[in-house]
Amino acid sequence: MRWITLLCTLFAFSALAQAQAQAPDLRGIWEAAGIAYQNIEGTPAQQGRPATKSVVVEPANGKIPYRADSRKTADRNFKDRASTDPLLACFQPGLPRAALLPEPFQIFQSSDRVIIVYQHVHAYRVIFTDGRPHYNEGIEFYMGDSRGRWEGNTLVVDVTNFKPETWLDAAGNFHSEKLHVVERYTRTGPDTMTYEATVDDPEVFERSWKMRISLARHTEAGFQLVEHECERDTRGVFRHPPQFLK
Amino acid sequence: MKRLALLVLAVIPVIAASGQSEFVPERLSNGHPNFSGIWMAGSLSAAFNVEEHGASYGTPAGPSVIIDPPGGRLPYLPGMRERAADNDQHRERDPVGQCHMHGVPRVMFPPFPLEIRQDGDYVLILSETEHGVRIIPTDGRPFLKDYSSWNGDSRGRWEGDTLVVEVRGLNGRSWLDQAGNFAGPGATIAERFKLTGKDTLDYQVTVENPSVFSRPFTLRVPLRRRPPDVELLEYGCIEGERDAAHMPVEAEKK
Repeated sequence: MRWITLLCTLFAFSALAQAQAQAPDLRGIWEAAGIAYQNIEGTPAQQGRPATKSVVVEPANGKIPYRADSRKTADRNFKDRASTDPLLACFQPGLPRAALLPEPFQIFQSSDRVIIVYQHVHAYRVIFTDGRPHYNEGIEFYMGDSRGRWEGNTLVVDVTNFKPETWLDAAGNFHSEKLHVVERYTRTGPDTMTYEATVDDPEVFERSWKMRISLARHTEAGFQLVEHECERDTRGVFRHPPQFLK
Repeated sequence: MKRLALLVLAVIPVIAASGQSEFVPERLSNGHPNFSGIWMAGSLSAAFNVEEHGASYGTPAGPSVIIDPPGGRLPYLPGMRERAADNDQHRERDPVGQCHMHGVPRVMFPPFPLEIRQDGDYVLILSETEHGVRIIPTDGRPFLKDYSSWNGDSRGRWEGDTLVVEVRGLNGRSWLDQAGNFAGPGATIAERFKLTGKDTLDYQVTVENPSVFSRPFTLRVPLRRRPPDVELLEYGCIEGERDAAHMPVEAEKK
């Protein structure tokens, strides 16, 4: 009888410990709903494409709060985007753009890290959730340096140490190396998740701002990421294979 | 207490019978050995040249990593060794030098670390260099149809404590090493991963391609675990590449 009591107690304790250690399950293959990748501030209706609302939820007017001189740079980027968008030259997409793209990404989890593999140019992020600190200032990454933590059901990822070259979307919204992104991933259903990004960059924006989109999980049987590798064209310039252009 | 003693007595012979020298790996909750960690080829010899090679400019001498056929030479069909030698004279054609992923099996032994993670029905292999990715489902799903890629389409299965990965859908443009050895389009590949110690992961790969080789061959490159503070870092190549326009475009496709 003593044995049984002891076993039961051990069982109860290990179940409790397990439940406490169990982080929310974000695993699966996800993709942005909507077309915020074109322009975070929304787009007017264009040929074959409906108008879209801004995904900026703060400030309430849906506009990125650029400093006056920075808005001019964004406007120039928009005008020249066909030749100057770094993504068209196959750069790793940076953030939050990677989460907005019309291509799937897969989330893997283990006890001390979350790994996100993006189909887009097979960029990936290893997000430590064990409290280890960021790299020192000046060590820059196209995809930033990501450190995560769990807040209730939400994965919060603090991303710093960005290289300044990437854009935020295809419309030329941009940032400097002072970019600081805080992402929040929250499951809202079996196949849905909210992605929220608070974006700060004192060199480019007057204040921090926040965007929010929905992610949908791919549930097709056998669905998998395929390889998206750029190829050089006849002039030797890196280009995306046509099947990935949207 | 008596029961415990009986249990211990019953277990000892089982351990003894399972092979005295066999390493017993740490296991995941699903019973499979835990391969997770940061790994790197124990020797860079294979990255330079999978065959035995003398020292040359920028390349230290090294032994062959080919364990079959005996003799350690690639069983090229007539004419194919000359093509590899021609590649060696034109290393500007090396797809890796042109920012492409290494392809399988070269992606398993570059002079950069790899991260292996197991999550449910997946084995994930991240390569630091070229931020290469292999996502290996182990749920028995079929291969993709009409697929062509640098790192191929991988399907894993467990044979005891060995992870066996079959690879199809390789574009055939990858080199096997920096010396221009190649497997060509249509190659099929079977890899075997097995822990032989806490910090050693044995990697063997059998490559078959009747249009390039007279018989299958097998390479063996033991991987070593990197210290716990090693993290994969971001690798850039295409970003800021200014020489691409001057590189031979068609040559690499030969």
